[in-house]
Amino acid sequence: MHLEAIAEKCTGCRICENFCSVKHEGAIWPERARIRILAETDSGPFTPNVCRQCEDAACAAACPVEAITKDQATGAWVVNDDECIGCESCVEACPYHAIFFDAESGKAFKCDLCGGEPECVAICPFGAVQKVP
Amino acid sequence: MFPYRGYAGKCLYVDLTSGKIETREYDKALAENYLGGNGFGTRLLWENVAPEVDALAPENLLIFSTGPLCGTIVPNPGRMEVIGKSPLTGIYGDANTGGFLGPEFKFAGWDAVVITGQSPRPVYLAIADNQVELRDASHLWGLTTSQTENAIRQTWGDPLVKTATIGPAGENLVRFAGIQITPQRSAARCGLGAVMGSKRLKAIAVRGHGPIRVADPYRLHKLAIALHQRLRANPIFPAVHASGTPGIVSLMDALGRFPTQNFRMGSFPYVDHINIDALRARAFVRDLACFGCPVACDKLYRVPDGPYAETALRSVEYETLNALGACIWNADLDALLAANRLCDELGLDTISAGRVISFAMELWDEEILNLDDTGGLALYWGDMDTVLPLLRMIAYREGFGNLLAEGVRRAAQTIGRGAERYAMHVKGMEIAAQDGRAQKSMGLAHVTSTRGADHLKAFPVIDETGYPDEGRRRYGEQYLPDIVQPLATKYKAFLVKDGEDFGAVVDSVGMCKSGGTFVLAEIYWPDIAAALEAATAMEMPVERLQRIGERIYNLQRCYNALHGITRADDKLPSRFSEEASPSGNAKGQTIDIEPMLEEYYQLRGWDAETGWPTAEKLRELGLEDAIERLQR
Repeated sequence: MHLEAIAEKCTGCRICENFCSVKHEGAIWPERARIRILAETDSGPFTPNVCRQCEDAACAAACPVEAITKDQATGAWVVNDDECIGCESCVEACPYHAIFFDAESGKAFKCDLCGGEPECVAICPFGAVQKVP
Repeated sequence: MFPYRGYAGKCLYVDLTSGKIETREYDKALAENYLGGNGFGTRLLWENVAPEVDALAPENLLIFSTGPLCGTIVPNPGRMEVIGKSPLTGIYGDANTGGFLGPEFKFAGWDAVVITGQSPRPVYLAIADNQVELRDASHLWGLTTSQTENAIRQTWGDPLVKTATIGPAGENLVRFAGIQITPQRSAARCGLGAVMGSKRLKAIAVRGHGPIRVADPYRLHKLAIALHQRLRANPIFPAVHASGTPGIVSLMDALGRFPTQNFRMGSFPYVDHINIDALRARAFVRDLACFGCPVACDKLYRVPDGPYAETALRSVEYETLNALGACIWNADLDALLAANRLCDELGLDTISAGRVISFAMELWDEEILNLDDTGGLALYWGDMDTVLPLLRMIAYREGFGNLLAEGVRRAAQTIGRGAERYAMHVKGMEIAAQDGRAQKSMGLAHVTSTRGADHLKAFPVIDETGYPDEGRRRYGEQYLPDIVQPLATKYKAFLVKDGEDFGAVVDSVGMCKSGGTFVLAEIYWPDIAAALEAATAMEMPVERLQRIGERIYNLQRCYNALHGITRADDKLPSRFSEEASPSGNAKGQTIDIEPMLEEYYQLRGWDAETGWPTAEKLRELGLEDAIERLQR
């Protein structure tokens, strides 16, 4: 499974970022959201930018300690915090800017598809983010 | 340590005279008794800005204030308040805005910014998380609002910086200058842009990277999901989303409550030129939303061709379509959009700007004004070739524009010759596109509003159309059918009081009156009480929340009482009681405020003679200090 953005449906409300951060960080924190709204201007056009869960993931390939592995159940590439050494190679390697670095914890973080029930898909009022099996 | 979550827990106090910037912990008692936002600002104004202080004096406060639910995951949490004494009315003043600025304040770690003093030179306040400084704005002075925003972002090197800016109107102390908020929203009413201009504060710019932490994220998440689902299932959600406030233009016109030619009429024969269908067909680009809002009532519009080609703007609202359309007899939609955009750039409240022009046009029509008075401007109804330059003249206070920049009350006093009769205001505030003859509760709302004529304090929406569903959902069967009938007066005092108290709470927590609380009538006292408990960990039974709303509204009334406001000021212009509405559902109607007002004072526990809160009521609300001050 992976997520697909339907850009023309996005109103730029950032509800997805907010719910994503609550789910993963327990706080409303767009800077820690795994999904990010890209905006050409304040009034759009907008594109929800999400991890593609690539077949051949550049982030996983770039990781020197193999900390990014595929969850076979969901299809999500997941960062293993215990392994991650915070080198940011994955952040540089991702062509979609969909993996991020948390300077506080010194770890990378990315979309894990919420274990199969993505919060952003459930909450977007207009279906701008969708699950693709 | 500040004990409650949901709040950032600290505020900025900025004295522009000395340039001193101070950080203070959020006042715990203030949070407990006034929540934040509107209530926070009300209390600060009450304590710190005495009646003798002029609104444009350095001693006035300008308060940017968020609430504990602002920036969270409840629906429509993007709202913030700006509070200060109004240079337009001389009494309590506030303006509310959507957009993205309020949440950004909280991500930067601040609940509120309190501004006092007057800077010796133009400055702007830059807030980058914990780094706060005043920066020179000499190079920005004179720029329009979007030019200012763009220049600040360019210097900063971050397109996600959010701003509050004033344009030339605020700099030139136009009494109805607004504050423009990212992205093209306005804290428009009460002339708070002129207060900002008087302080020589060109802008506030904010960028925040931190979290908003809530007490019980699991519980708040559960509540928020349920609220989002209820909004999306609401029967009028699709219409509000599809059309926003312009969607009601034709409906209000049919009801005869769409002010035309300065309230001479309540219907506009050319309404089809400026309604949502015209707007959509001509200029729709895309749906837009404020922060965290699932309703997304905002749209981007762009004029495709013609003399106003490429005029692009958002936040085109019902009010502006009236103020710069029907009320000045203008049916040219392209020119209307250009005028709307021009007001945004100059930093003018579109409602008051439109009203001073319709006022002047009626005076011209009645031959009270002539070419000598106007400096050679002929003010024919609907002449947009005059209106567009006149808006600039107002913002720059040039020629006849200088007179209109004072608002209709002052302009009428200066003109004399019976001009007062055509000045459509209450307590100095121009009346929005709501006619009490066609909706009786709205007439009452205008006179009891604490910021002068205003539909948004009580925001009685459930009796606009006479449809019972919203009224039933909110108040049950017991008040039907009267409470939803626009021409009935029964239960309207109750409707207005409840709306004012609930509205004070909505404006204090940081939610929106259009996206669910009033429009849609979906989110009500118990929902906000539960969300506050989950977000802040304050105990918040509904009765306590209702008491807070009542306390805030009573304190605003007390503040106005200190400024000499009494029952005698709670009145509509004579037009509404003397001239019957000529059209629509309201044809033949006038409005008699007095019986509703009498009932309203009783419900409020206010003295029927003075219109002031009684000592008993103030004691009940814990406002003992107000008893003392009112006695003096």
